[in-house]
Amino acid sequence: MNHIPWLTLLIVIPAGAAILLQLIPRRLTGAVKGFTIFATLAVAVIVTLLLLWMPGNKASNGPIPLHFEETHAWLPAINATYHLGIDGISAWLLALNAGVFLLGALAISRKTTDRLRFYCTLVLLTEAATTGVLLSIDLLLFYMFWEGMLVPLYVLLSNWGGDKRGPATIKFIVYTVAGSLLMLVAIIYLYVQSPSGSFDLESILASPISSGTAFVIPIIHLTTFTPKELAFICFALAFAIKIPIVPLHTWLPDLYESAPPAVLVFFAGIVSKLGAYGFIRFALTLFPGEMEKYRFVLAGFAVLSIIYGALMALSERDLKRIVAYASISHLGFIALGIFSLTTNGINGAVIQIVNHGIIISALFLIVGFVEARTGTRDLGELSGLERRMPWLYFFFLVASLASLGMPGMNSFVGEFTIMLGAFQLNWVYAVLAGGGVILAAWYMLRLHQGLMHDPPKPRTEGVRDLRFGEGLLLVPLVALMIFIGLFPKPITDVSNGSVNTTVSLIQPAASNSGTQ
Amino acid sequence: MLIAASPVPLSFPGGRDLVGILPELVLGGAFLMLMVLDLVIPPSKRTWLAGFALFGIAATFGVVVWAWFDANPGRLVYSGSFAYDRFALFVDAILLVSAGLVVMISPNYLNRRGIHYGEYYALILAATIGMMLLAGATSLMVIFLAIELLSIALYILSGFSRHEERSQEAALKYLLLGGFASGFLLFGMALIYGETGHTQLAQIAAAIQSQTTVTVDPLLLAGVLLLFIGFAFKVSAAPFHSWTPDVYQGAPTSVTTFMSVTTKVAAFAALVRVFTYTFDGGGTHFYQHWEPVVALVAITSMVVGNIAALTQTSVKRMLAYSGIAQAGYILIGVAVGPVLLPSGQSSSFGTIGVLYYLAAYAVTNIGAFAVITIMAGRGEDLDSYEGLRGLAHRRPFVAASMALFLFSLGGFPPTAGFFGKFLVFTAAINAGQVPLALWGIATSVVSAFYYLRVGLLMYQRPAAGAEEYRWSRTGFAGSAVLVATTAGTLILGVMIVLVYTAASASLKGLIV
Repeated sequence: MNHIPWLTLLIVIPAGAAILLQLIPRRLTGAVKGFTIFATLAVAVIVTLLLLWMPGNKASNGPIPLHFEETHAWLPAINATYHLGIDGISAWLLALNAGVFLLGALAISRKTTDRLRFYCTLVLLTEAATTGVLLSIDLLLFYMFWEGMLVPLYVLLSNWGGDKRGPATIKFIVYTVAGSLLMLVAIIYLYVQSPSGSFDLESILASPISSGTAFVIPIIHLTTFTPKELAFICFALAFAIKIPIVPLHTWLPDLYESAPPAVLVFFAGIVSKLGAYGFIRFALTLFPGEMEKYRFVLAGFAVLSIIYGALMALSERDLKRIVAYASISHLGFIALGIFSLTTNGINGAVIQIVNHGIIISALFLIVGFVEARTGTRDLGELSGLERRMPWLYFFFLVASLASLGMPGMNSFVGEFTIMLGAFQLNWVYAVLAGGGVILAAWYMLRLHQGLMHDPPKPRTEGVRDLRFGEGLLLVPLVALMIFIGLFPKPITDVSNGSVNTTVSLIQPAASNSGTQ
Repeated sequence: MLIAASPVPLSFPGGRDLVGILPELVLGGAFLMLMVLDLVIPPSKRTWLAGFALFGIAATFGVVVWAWFDANPGRLVYSGSFAYDRFALFVDAILLVSAGLVVMISPNYLNRRGIHYGEYYALILAATIGMMLLAGATSLMVIFLAIELLSIALYILSGFSRHEERSQEAALKYLLLGGFASGFLLFGMALIYGETGHTQLAQIAAAIQSQTTVTVDPLLLAGVLLLFIGFAFKVSAAPFHSWTPDVYQGAPTSVTTFMSVTTKVAAFAALVRVFTYTFDGGGTHFYQHWEPVVALVAITSMVVGNIAALTQTSVKRMLAYSGIAQAGYILIGVAVGPVLLPSGQSSSFGTIGVLYYLAAYAVTNIGAFAVITIMAGRGEDLDSYEGLRGLAHRRPFVAASMALFLFSLGGFPPTAGFFGKFLVFTAAINAGQVPLALWGIATSVVSAFYYLRVGLLMYQRPAAGAEEYRWSRTGFAGSAVLVATTAGTLILGVMIVLVYTAASASLKGLIV
């Protein structure tokens, strides 16, 4: 443990593998895929080892209790550091990250993927970037990975997938860039204002930043936001676009519709969770007072996402779009948990981030299998798969029950904990979010019935069931859905300490703003 | 107010003076040898001339590296009209690397276009000498001479494809508008000389500082602003940009590669030395009078360049408008360069940002133009967007590096362009000019559209039945240039400390 830079390795292994991949001849597709799996597996193994070591490794005493830490000078002239760290929250996201990329590598189809080596290179580069996002404690470093992630993703999404991928990709990139550039301004603002003059999150947190005087619009004497509030809004926009929270969600359905399933496994699995992670890691710690002040507004948008996503999922006919809108609805739950600013809510959000990553990966894999066999994603043309594909039926049944929040499955634990938090915030939100759960049961069962139970239609004649390898991809996901549902304690045990520290940042800030 | 000009004691160029212009002398020697060699070398062997030019550039680069350690501290040579300091040498290094890369991609391209003449390399070297002089000039006279030297060489170069009307048109347009801009420059210099009585920057700075803060000499200010217009023309900042798209499109692509980068680098170096370090006015806060104008031009450039680039269908014109926009971003660094912080310290963030941005822009833009130079087919330029369609399927590595350059121009990490933008935005926010940074952000979002659109095109397959553009072979020199620029774009994007430290050291050594 001691002298090996494990955290750096987590970034270097996929990035280095992406370079080494170029040495393998293009036509040896088996070797290319094998090497990609090997690299993602190596990351997964290290993350697992770190998770096992974690309880024994005492957390640091800084504002963020980091169990593992690496710090090096990066650009001393402006106090930007190469500061990586893992705490109880990022640990689970890292595990999810490693898992979905391993799954994404396993799910690559050698037969149908055009230019396989290039594809694998981009997947590995994306993994390096998302891992970097989860590890960075320095704001500038975080931004580098956050925005740098778009480079491989852009090439990946614009090269593989459906016909409408070009416009959908540009829409996604421009949306994200708009948000993240605003965040860049806010990061620079914090750097300039912080007495520590540093980009390091821990140094910035160590000495509070004054919120400054509010801008007043002359003549009508309308007091608007303080500079710090504006900085908070920039951060919140960047993360809200990534999650996405309604009404900033319009890039998501188009993108999910055109992206290939193997990409969606890790895109929906981890990339969209990074926005939620950003809220917990950066927005909550840097702007506790502002979060407190705007929590009702933010939670309102989260509830809007839950309801709107569920209603849209009910009205769509395209399988991918249904899952995409269902995803928006579920991400709304995660956001609601975070915005409740309670230990319960945030713990629930962390569990639910992991859960949703597992469920959405499984759902997109299943949709991919169905589309590959029938050539369509139109719910109107698909039915009766139950008899044709009994194994797929079984996996889909478990995944949809998990998705709609069946007690005993993983989502139930997460959503229940989030609802507890929402009740502590205000009962109205909890009741509305509860409506979302009912809608979820409705659209998942509609999807399930339409796809599986009705009499078969021409498209589904002679469809073959899952191959052994395909089923094997789904087994660990389904096992986890049930396991986490029954034993959620390991997750909260690890995350609880970090969540408590984060929430404790909010309480004093709240009392301060109350007295002013 | 006219200050009587005090006679400056003239000194003969001694050894110390000659050492001060050693890089220019070595490159000048190479230039003269090249003119002679061109007469004796048979036309079929003109690639040798490229080799010799490259050798001269490499030798000069060696001298620059030696001088970097020698010029610590730097000094003024030739009675204070030229600075032998690390700032000039840093800029020289960028210029020489750019010129070297351009010379490497030129022979193949010129042969294919049928315009491979020996003067080409001589003119490239002549222009480079002019730019190096501009980077070190500390007298209005030398500044003017340097600008004329580089401009005249570039006028000829942009008309180098002399059988082609578009190239001739480019040369004529550049000449006429360039002459017009020189007029502004000279008029500004005349006013400054008239008001201060000096042509040397150090004495002009002293004269400005001796003024009272209450009243500002309007003629002096007019002179300063006219001078700025002259420079703004050279860096192609809007609204003085109207020549740029036509000239960039009409000139042979290798020439466009060269001038789109080096002219900006040299002119921005002069802007930093003259405006940030001479016209700041010390305690008189003279900069407050011209800074809003620079900021306004910066905003105009960012908006005009990025919006106009959206509607282009020619790669060269798109990159021309992108260059106008980039000039706007760099101008942010100039506008907030001399600002005094509330703490009383002056900040060099803006100027470091300018230097970093220039290095990043040089390596990225040369890379992007090099791709369309190298890929251009026989007898024609690769100009329309359609010509890039499907490139990724035939030349995956060329397309990947082009995509990287486009990302860098768009300011995405982990590429060089990100840190350029990051540093100038940081400088702006640090100086309390948040709106300037916000303009930069808003226009950056717009720029993502057109850069990514070109990127998307490379990865699309040509429509069924449509013919693919016949791309040329990359060749050894072309591959080397692409590898170098790709590596440079990534290194400047990740290991920023290298160039940052050099830029910061060069500013510490800057003398006026």
